[in-house]
Amino acid sequence: MQTGFSRYWRDEDMVKLNVLNLEKSEYKGGKSSLCPGCGHDQISNIIIQAAWENGIKPEGIAKMSGIGCSSKTPAYFLAKSHGFNTVHGRMPSVTTGANMVNKDLSFIAVSGDGDTASIGIGQFIHAIRRNLDMVYIIENNGVYGLTKGQYSATVEKGSKKKKGAPNEQAPIDLCAMAVNLGCTFVARSFSGSKKQLTALLRAAMSHRGMAVIDVISPCVTFANNDESYRSYNYVKTNDEVLHIVDYIAHFSPLSEVEVPEGEFSDISLFDGSTLRLETVSDDHDPRDAVAALRAIHEATQDGRHVTGLLYYDPDQPTATDNLGLTQAPLVGLPEDKLRPSPESLEEVNANFRAR
Amino acid sequence: MDKIYNDFTINVATANGTGSQSANLIILHSLFEMGVPVSGKNLFPSNISGLPTWFIIRASDRGYQAPGDETNIQIVMNKDTWEKDLASLDPGTIIIYNEDAKLPVDRDDCVSLGMPMTTMARGISPKMARLMANMYYVGGIAHLLGIEEDSIASAVEQQFRGKENAISMNLQAISEARKYASENWGDVSRYSAQSREKSDDTFLIEGNEATALGCIYGGINMLSWYPITPSSSLAESIIKWIPKLREGEDGGSTCAVVQAEDELAAAGMVLGAGWAGGRGMTCTSGPGISLMSEFIGLFYFAEVPGVIWDINRTGPSTGLPTRTQQGDLAMCYEASHGDTQHIVLIPGTVDECFEFGWRAFDYAERFQTLVFGFGDLDLGMNRWNTSGFVYPDQDMDRGKVIRNQEEMDAIPNFGRYRDVDGDGIAYRTLPGSGLAPILYRGTGHDEDGIYSEDPQVYYEAMQRLKRKIDGSRDILPAPVIREEDEGDVGIIFYGSMENSIVEIDDLLEGRGLSVSTCRVRALPYHSEVEQFVERHDRVVVMEINRDGQLYGILRKELPSHLIKKLYSVAYSDGLPPRAREYANRVFEVLEG
Repeated sequence: MQTGFSRYWRDEDMVKLNVLNLEKSEYKGGKSSLCPGCGHDQISNIIIQAAWENGIKPEGIAKMSGIGCSSKTPAYFLAKSHGFNTVHGRMPSVTTGANMVNKDLSFIAVSGDGDTASIGIGQFIHAIRRNLDMVYIIENNGVYGLTKGQYSATVEKGSKKKKGAPNEQAPIDLCAMAVNLGCTFVARSFSGSKKQLTALLRAAMSHRGMAVIDVISPCVTFANNDESYRSYNYVKTNDEVLHIVDYIAHFSPLSEVEVPEGEFSDISLFDGSTLRLETVSDDHDPRDAVAALRAIHEATQDGRHVTGLLYYDPDQPTATDNLGLTQAPLVGLPEDKLRPSPESLEEVNANFRAR
Repeated sequence: MDKIYNDFTINVATANGTGSQSANLIILHSLFEMGVPVSGKNLFPSNISGLPTWFIIRASDRGYQAPGDETNIQIVMNKDTWEKDLASLDPGTIIIYNEDAKLPVDRDDCVSLGMPMTTMARGISPKMARLMANMYYVGGIAHLLGIEEDSIASAVEQQFRGKENAISMNLQAISEARKYASENWGDVSRYSAQSREKSDDTFLIEGNEATALGCIYGGINMLSWYPITPSSSLAESIIKWIPKLREGEDGGSTCAVVQAEDELAAAGMVLGAGWAGGRGMTCTSGPGISLMSEFIGLFYFAEVPGVIWDINRTGPSTGLPTRTQQGDLAMCYEASHGDTQHIVLIPGTVDECFEFGWRAFDYAERFQTLVFGFGDLDLGMNRWNTSGFVYPDQDMDRGKVIRNQEEMDAIPNFGRYRDVDGDGIAYRTLPGSGLAPILYRGTGHDEDGIYSEDPQVYYEAMQRLKRKIDGSRDILPAPVIREEDEGDVGIIFYGSMENSIVEIDDLLEGRGLSVSTCRVRALPYHSEVEQFVERHDRVVVMEINRDGQLYGILRKELPSHLIKKLYSVAYSDGLPPRAREYANRVFEVLEG
């Protein structure tokens, strides 16, 4: 259906190329050292798929992460992109600094629920507030994996991990928080929903501004038991899908895309691509923050997870837009553009002397 | 009466937020206009309005810039500190006081000079009387010291630049006060200001603004900051100068500014900017460095360039936020957990604030590490003399950055952390270049940047880092040494102590002790510092803190046969260093 791909024959098999004539292998990373079956590895594969399908130059991407199981994953995708596995909860500030001096980089960041909702909640909030131009993926399993299974701040009240008592504290819903803060792209998905997550991730990559995707990603080792609200079985049976999402790339003309039978609405993204939302039962308007919050809270009341594009506001300036910066990325400026002239210093001195 | 020319200390006691700063700066600048060597210290409270504040003006033909050990003229304006201000004075001190305070001045042993300052000010402007009252002590001082009218006028114009109404009202107040003093006080002052030939080149500037200009000329690309006294004015000066000096061809700025949510984020932004290939910088004070420490370790271990200016205030904890100290030296040098070591640049003058402002970026990129600028409240927020800033004498040093495939091909066996030429510094590539991309990390890594827990790999990486920073010693600014031929005693000091050293030296000389001095300007310390210790029998390390932090660093790093030569004079009470305090202590430790 979609164009933008081509194929060529190598010795034994046919190889598919994206719009940049790159094989998918150009977007792959190293071997994962996470537990076999970890939801995070699914997400890594979807990041590879989405970046490849969108035809983003690997060298133009910067992979960012904090600390934790999820934050290790940038080693497992996009080996041709520079990346930074920073410190716990502080990835947003490092991304901000890099964005300030090189706004041409495409930032794809991975964080976890401990990294984002506990130690890093302040930096997460302020990155949203600045509308930092980045994709911020939270691989959210409700537990701290690397330190062997303590509850995190996103786990639902009453949810129980494999060992120990059920969680008694109220959860932090990162999507509700992001909507409240005016985050310009807020989505929730599930690592087991490949089609939905791929479409949402591709849309996030086409967005200009802060795109938060909270991905429920079961921890197979510490919380994949049925009493855990974030186990595969639980999420599969309690997934409240807002709409069927389909991504149509800017290089695939809409006219050539099959029109769905039922009701749908199209969302135009910054790079000219489209996210098509097919109505499931109730119509959800992602431009309506109140509707987004209602959908989140109603689902939570019923012990369900609402997934899809919750909120979208494409019209806000990004972190660098209001700084009055010169057009070219600052890292590319030569010395004569960075160091004022000797004459200017003479003038500075003269002005002080004349005071 | 025998006059004492250009050798006096004025102390002005007022309350914060009453407009006295303008009056004090007019006295300071009018003396400066006459060519009188003068310095000013603002001892202000951590408060916006109401708490007591003192301003000390020192005139000295000998060039002494420390606050004087005694007060010669005391101005009392603050009812809250009135009694204490008066009680602390030596007999013979001239007291100028506001009669409208209606408080007693029971110092018959002093020369007490009253003036109804608020009442007189009301005559000019009833609304502004409280603010204008300060101008009456300016007039009183102008009369006593014989400050020239032209100099006063020029200082007032400078203070209220462009505000014609304010200029004329304030000049009127000063002139009324001068007349009142002349008619009611007479010629009672032993102290007098006398014009000196003033170089047309000189001007006064705060260290923070000098540093800010240095950063601007150093090509700063990103300033991230979180407000904290006494560093905020550094950030605000950069912000002020960017539109004037750092406009690109399209009129856009070539330096981004982000007010961060806290110091941790400010440090993280500097790290991100440096990693992406820009020149990032933040400024803070001790509490900020404490918060930034985790990131500081990442700078060191992942080898990312960046600059942090620490404008020291008095610690520990929140401490005395508006007082000065050299209390952060040891922390800056070894900040963050594990074995670390950071380059620290320590300016002692406003000229060096400017110079180290731009050099810091060159060192950071050359050595691919974090560089600290180390200032303090005294140097940063008080005004000091300069004859003008000197343009950088070297092109920017962007360090070992591979920018294209050709450069990459020229390097045999490239690895992000492989030392291919023996100086401990490896080549790096930038995000966006597509050249040999790696995932930077704060975890253990091998020479290619790949995660590693191998003992030998870790050991060798840490040895190389040590070698790398050690290699900066003799490239960083050398110490400033003033050597006496016959001296067996040397004094090592640093930073803003430069402004007291001449007077300390004279006090020691006056008591028969001739000393050589060595002002350390960077850590790790230059080999000339070791040679200085080698050449002297006894070496006093003098600094503004309790524990002798540079003394500790020297004891750790000097060869053992030199350590027994070291003595520590470390003293801190929050105030800028008074010469006699330190001179006395030098005798104490040497006499043991």
